[in-house]
Amino acid sequence: MRLELTINGIPWQGEVEPRLTLADLLRDRLRLTGTHLGCEHGVCGACTVLLDGEAARSCLTLAVQAEGAAVITVEGLPSSLIPENAFQCGFCRAGFVVSAAALLSDGRRRGRQELAEELAGNICRCTGYRPILEAVLRYQA
Amino acid sequence: MKSAPFEYRRPASLAEALQILDQHGDDARPLAGGQSLIPLLAMRLAQPAMIVDLGRLPELRGIRRDGSEIAIGAMTTQAQLQRLPLPGILAAALPHVGHFQIRSRGTVGGSLAHMDPAAEWPALAVLLDAELELAATSGRRLLRAADFALGPMTSAIEPNELLVSIRLSGAEGPFGFLEVERRPGDFALVGAACHRGRLVAFATGAIAQRLTRCEALLREDGSPGDLRALAEAEIEATGDVHASAGYRRRVGAALVQRAVEAAA
Repeated sequence: MRLELTINGIPWQGEVEPRLTLADLLRDRLRLTGTHLGCEHGVCGACTVLLDGEAARSCLTLAVQAEGAAVITVEGLPSSLIPENAFQCGFCRAGFVVSAAALLSDGRRRGRQELAEELAGNICRCTGYRPILEAVLRYQA
Repeated sequence: MKSAPFEYRRPASLAEALQILDQHGDDARPLAGGQSLIPLLAMRLAQPAMIVDLGRLPELRGIRRDGSEIAIGAMTTQAQLQRLPLPGILAAALPHVGHFQIRSRGTVGGSLAHMDPAAEWPALAVLLDAELELAATSGRRLLRAADFALGPMTSAIEPNELLVSIRLSGAEGPFGFLEVERRPGDFALVGAACHRGRLVAFATGAIAQRLTRCEALLREDGSPGDLRALAEAEIEATGDVHASAGYRRRVGAALVQRAVEAAA
């Protein structure tokens, strides 16, 4: 099926199978491998991207559902948002960066507790979350 | 974790969507936001021959108000709803409906049609005595929430029908809405809600359960201790890998008591 969308500001068009997820389109067809796939059923948050400005799970979105949409992946976001040293293995990083970018886009400053609750949709198995939260709080300030 | 192949349709109007369902019936599955269906496809628990994507039906998005009545279009996302001024109970429940990255795509109608026993919308529908509007090529019908919810993952929607809106009236007013969940936004392990003397327990058993005996006790001004004991007896709980039936009854009863206090 024919698909047209923009990814990190660059128009893309091509033929895709309807069952192809947006995550697999990004990773396997476009080689944008910054977006990671962990659980592939919406629980871990590693595959989060911005879809028309809203954070969404790319593993829970068919590529064909994104027809005409503007997709932003971690490659299209400033790396200063959460620096690499806030993580250990880095597998979850893209999901956290994109989720934090979506949250902070409203310009409202959040406290630690609220941020922790809002970022609960992203799993990190290394850090215990503290350095990640500290980094987002520093970025806000 | 990759879906089996399927044929994909993206109707541009409700009439076209209903026609496709009329022709393909059981072989076709409507796709709303996909936050429940796409995992089922990925795990191959669902292998429909055809997916009918409802994502381009603007007539199913947004809300209409008429006095204290609210009609929520089935394809309204949880996030769109959260940005609107809402009755307190809806505003309190919505942050529990998945994580914000799920609410951006997940829809009210999708959640109701999916009918997960731990989901918030089926519980809210029963609690608030909502009406569900179903459409088919032959016409529309309205069902009360209690008649719409048939069982776990089972609603009264026929294969040729679509849920088009949920209608609430009198949803304003004091309420209690409580959940125990591992992370904010995860599926509830146990939940309870109270509004205008009605009580519902959810994530406890096969289906959101109205606690009519507890409601009767409330009308008789029973003591909080009696209410808790009665709730523990009335909640029909099932156990699974996440929580035992006993845990769900005990914690559910405590949540019922707190929900009643919050709604007072």
